[in-house]
Amino acid sequence: MAKVLVVAEIKQGVLKGSTAELLSKAKAIGAQTAVVAIGSDIESLLPDLVGAGADQQYIADDARLALFSAGPFAACVVDAARQFDADQVWFGFSESSKAVAPRVAAQLDAACATEITDVMFEQGHIEVIRPAITNKVLQRVRINTERMVAVVRAGAFAADPELAGSENVVRLAPPPADLKAVIKELVSEAGSEIDLADADIVVSVGRGARNQDGVELVKALAEELNAGFGASRAMVDAGFMAHNKQVGQTGKIVAPTLYMAIGISGAIQHLAGMNGSKVILAVNKDPEAPIFNVADYGIVGDLFEVVPILRQEIKKIRS
Amino acid sequence: MELNIHVKDGAIVEDGLQYVINAWDENGVETAVQLKEDSGAETTLVSIGGGDNTDVIRRCYAMGIESGMHIDDPALEKADAFIYARVLQKVFEAGDYDLVITGKQAQDTDNGQTGIILAEYLGLPCVSNVIGIEVLDDKHLKVSRSGDAGTEIVALELPAVVTVDVSINEPRLPQMRGLMMAKKKAIEKMDLTALGTSADEIGCAAPKSEIVAFMATEKRSGGRKFEGDAAEITARVVDLLANEAKVL
Repeated sequence: MAKVLVVAEIKQGVLKGSTAELLSKAKAIGAQTAVVAIGSDIESLLPDLVGAGADQQYIADDARLALFSAGPFAACVVDAARQFDADQVWFGFSESSKAVAPRVAAQLDAACATEITDVMFEQGHIEVIRPAITNKVLQRVRINTERMVAVVRAGAFAADPELAGSENVVRLAPPPADLKAVIKELVSEAGSEIDLADADIVVSVGRGARNQDGVELVKALAEELNAGFGASRAMVDAGFMAHNKQVGQTGKIVAPTLYMAIGISGAIQHLAGMNGSKVILAVNKDPEAPIFNVADYGIVGDLFEVVPILRQEIKKIRS
Repeated sequence: MELNIHVKDGAIVEDGLQYVINAWDENGVETAVQLKEDSGAETTLVSIGGGDNTDVIRRCYAMGIESGMHIDDPALEKADAFIYARVLQKVFEAGDYDLVITGKQAQDTDNGQTGIILAEYLGLPCVSNVIGIEVLDDKHLKVSRSGDAGTEIVALELPAVVTVDVSINEPRLPQMRGLMMAKKKAIEKMDLTALGTSADEIGCAAPKSEIVAFMATEKRSGGRKFEGDAAEITARVVDLLANEAKVL
């Protein structure tokens, strides 16, 4: 039986849904599971960790792990992987995971697969499916090593609400600090802003907004929906939106329940960032805009005219 | 210009495809050239595999890179990130480098592993997804990294590896003069033997992973597109979102 270690995704002291999703998939393919949680003051997360569905929990809880640092975080994962004798180590999709996974793979002499959408056992070896070339193709990759480290695409696996774990806690010793790459400071994003990667609804603004007024108009829609507020690369390059708001291949990959592309043409790099969304609504003046090829619902119109009506209609429906 | 990829019998059809420098690597080249201009750094480019890379390397020279090498060997055909990292390890160990710069990921594989694995093999500190670099002194950089909770400021001791994100800079367009001079500049070409190693030492015969097939992505198809009176169609769509799709 395979042994899968899932790295818990913890953001601002909260255990994210990807943890349960990954554990559910691991259980579904018949693996024995464990979870490793790394951070500072995370003891209170233990019930959530157990609830996420693993049979074993490894916890590295130390003040020195309060801020992310790839070296020490990788060391904790490797420690847990060795103690558990994991065949596979899975991470949810995040910047931290992308920084840590290759280190863990190198240290465990394991293959490393990023952004996988599926994992299968095929005649004695593992195979994974992953998108490539800005999501234009899928690769079927054969893993030749006994062990594999993978970063899983956002929303690739579904959480099994029935899955429950049992409490078996192992506390890991704090790892040595990375003396040559020292995290000095974290300049956080505005605390009240909704994280794009977690939002159930994401509203993104594109070049159709034309100016700051347009941006504010779409932002108001996002706020009324309590949605994440994102942007196309064009708006980031033009200085209207911060880089961390960019949805796309060179920005964030999101997979919300509802994605609203407002004034966005649908360049392939943008699509790579959001085509995993459950439902896509597009608003664009140009009936030929490529975004309409992927949108479940498309409104051809000027966003300055449509967005106020959208806001009105949504208010009506929700009251 | 739209890139159309055709998959036939599990492989990508290469006819008519033009190869260009990886977008993120271009930012890496620009980072190096800026370090040359601002801090007197000596810059060397290394490119691995891919057949005829001359145009791409010349373009980097035209941007300001001082020397370059192209390492190509039939044994590298199935190279994965780990094998590329071993080759780069050999290059690093044969020289006297303080900083290795790679792009954060490759536009074709979208893997994002090579630079980080190289740092592990070399036992060097590494910061990935870098969006800003400040030189503090000969041995120290202050780098900004785009992390999950915000921008992480890291004090980095050299020698080190950084992988850069597109937002770090705007790669310059090579000027005509640069392009003319680049045509005369040599590119050191080496196979694995010339590099002082072998296919066996690098582990070429046993990549940790290999692509066994390419498949077309399940095309997400468009649903319904509404044109006409804005008030009418918008109301209709909101109703569908709430009652049909049930997402509102």
